[in-house]
Amino acid sequence: MSLAIVILVVCFLALLLLDVPVAYSIGMATLLAMLATVDFMPAASTTAQRIATGLDSFTLLAIPFFILAGNLMGRGGIARRLIAFARALVGALPGGLAFVNIIACMLFGAISGSAIAAAAGIGSVMHPKMVENGYAPSFSAAVNVSSATTGLIIPPSNVLIVYSLASGGVSVAALFVAGYLPGLLLGGMLMAVAGVVAYRKGFGRDERVPVREAFRRFVDAAPSLTLIVVVIGGIVAGVFTATEAAAIAVLYALLLVLLYREVRPRELTGVLLDSVVTTAVVMLLIGASLALSWALSFENIPQDVAAALISLSENKIVILLVINVLLLAVGTFMDMTPAILIFTPIFLPIVVGLGVDPLHFGILMVFNLCIGLCTPPVGTVLFAGAGVAKVPVTDVVRPLLPLYAAMLLALLLVTFIPEITLIAPRLFGL
Amino acid sequence: MQKVTRIVDAALSGFLVALMIAMVATVSWQVATRYLLNSPSSYTEELASYLLIWISLLGAAYALRLRAHLGIDILTRRFRARRRRATQIFAYGTIIAFSLIALIFGGGWLVYVTLDLNQLSAAFQLPVGYVYTVIPLSGLITIYYSVVAIRALRPEKDEEPLEEEGPYPRAAA
Repeated sequence: MSLAIVILVVCFLALLLLDVPVAYSIGMATLLAMLATVDFMPAASTTAQRIATGLDSFTLLAIPFFILAGNLMGRGGIARRLIAFARALVGALPGGLAFVNIIACMLFGAISGSAIAAAAGIGSVMHPKMVENGYAPSFSAAVNVSSATTGLIIPPSNVLIVYSLASGGVSVAALFVAGYLPGLLLGGMLMAVAGVVAYRKGFGRDERVPVREAFRRFVDAAPSLTLIVVVIGGIVAGVFTATEAAAIAVLYALLLVLLYREVRPRELTGVLLDSVVTTAVVMLLIGASLALSWALSFENIPQDVAAALISLSENKIVILLVINVLLLAVGTFMDMTPAILIFTPIFLPIVVGLGVDPLHFGILMVFNLCIGLCTPPVGTVLFAGAGVAKVPVTDVVRPLLPLYAAMLLALLLVTFIPEITLIAPRLFGL
Repeated sequence: MQKVTRIVDAALSGFLVALMIAMVATVSWQVATRYLLNSPSSYTEELASYLLIWISLLGAAYALRLRAHLGIDILTRRFRARRRRATQIFAYGTIIAFSLIALIFGGGWLVYVTLDLNQLSAAFQLPVGYVYTVIPLSGLITIYYSVVAIRALRPEKDEEPLEEEGPYPRAAA
């Protein structure tokens, strides 16, 4: 290992621990590693150039648009409508309110593309309802936290767009379609665990909803659900690119909130500025991670890691297991976006050499890092979910244990049965 | 300084909202020309990508003002007020150093080199160097906001209670 890499890793971890914002920790570590290798001006200007040119991508443009569409719909009472609809469907079953939380998170995450937004939006409505019906507050928070991640696997998903960029052009449309079955599998496994726990502890059920009322709620939620059909349908059918679909989602959401009169035109400036800030935070992370990834390849790290892994074993199953364990460890302290941008260029060539489909690996990677979002010390979704439920983070971890087990089992299934991921894109000829 | 800060805040947030509206309009226009007029515009893709670079880098400076960047406070939140203030000053110092070296020196050099080589953009045929001017600009604003934040941490203002959730509350990302 060269001096530059030692500097890079040590600086990154030290800055991260001292509460320097993640994006600046990555940027500074990259800059210092570059300074150890080349002269001052080339090091400084290469870092600046990698950040700026990394963002110069039409695919990445989908991210601010999905953020803006999600923010618009978040203000427009979409979480409330989706929950009302989900309660009519499954609320009266044993463990029904936990199912409602999971289904609503899957739908909301699919619309907003953000796990934190799902945990906050759905959790703030569902948590009081679940506690009222006898659910333990920490268990309710745990269900909300784990299910919020399904929205990152079920499209539209910003992290899949980031993977498309990191992998050097795996099609966003194919990734989106590939995400459906693994996302549904994860949601189903979480429901099974939550259902068993809720049944055994005798948590209360929802009142049964009459058919007429259920239909009314469906009609109420339909315009929001239509958005998913338009966006995903358009991308899959090849009518428009992911970026164009995201822009259409913005216009659709704008039309909807103005028609419902839930956001006044004056409030739109605030929504726009919120979206700018979220976009900038994500984009700076992306730019800095791309610079770091470039510095790693400048030092030949991907080749070194590949050689080390292959010397360990040339068995596809063993290598995938090792990568899964490494990613699980990385996910506990690193956020999803930088992890994808930094580790895809390292791991993808290795697994492709062993015959793994890049599509399959992308879903596997996102799936794996989702678990990290729910684990301490750095679990952004865990913190958001615990915050919404006003429960200490440490209390949520214990009821999360059986849900982690469900997530791990689902991860193993997705890892070793590639068909779960690949069958849907094949069906659509993607 | 407070008055200047208020002016910078207002100008920056107004400009960012305008850039965002322009970006939505540009891509909407692209969709419209492609499907309704059936003659895709070649300028929209380039313009939208450049707008994204500007929004990202200027927005990152504004995000620092709102303390919206993600950070990890598992260690520092256990610190007492004095050591905590020291780590916060260190964090802003790191941001200032990065902005000065990478964004102002490195970015400025990048602007100079691309203008000197007269590198032109594909569609507009305009010098790409102008697009990169946002890098040193973002560096300047970031440093200004860092200084504002450090000044707000001064010991004589210690009577104000420290925020509960640490210096960088997690933004909805």
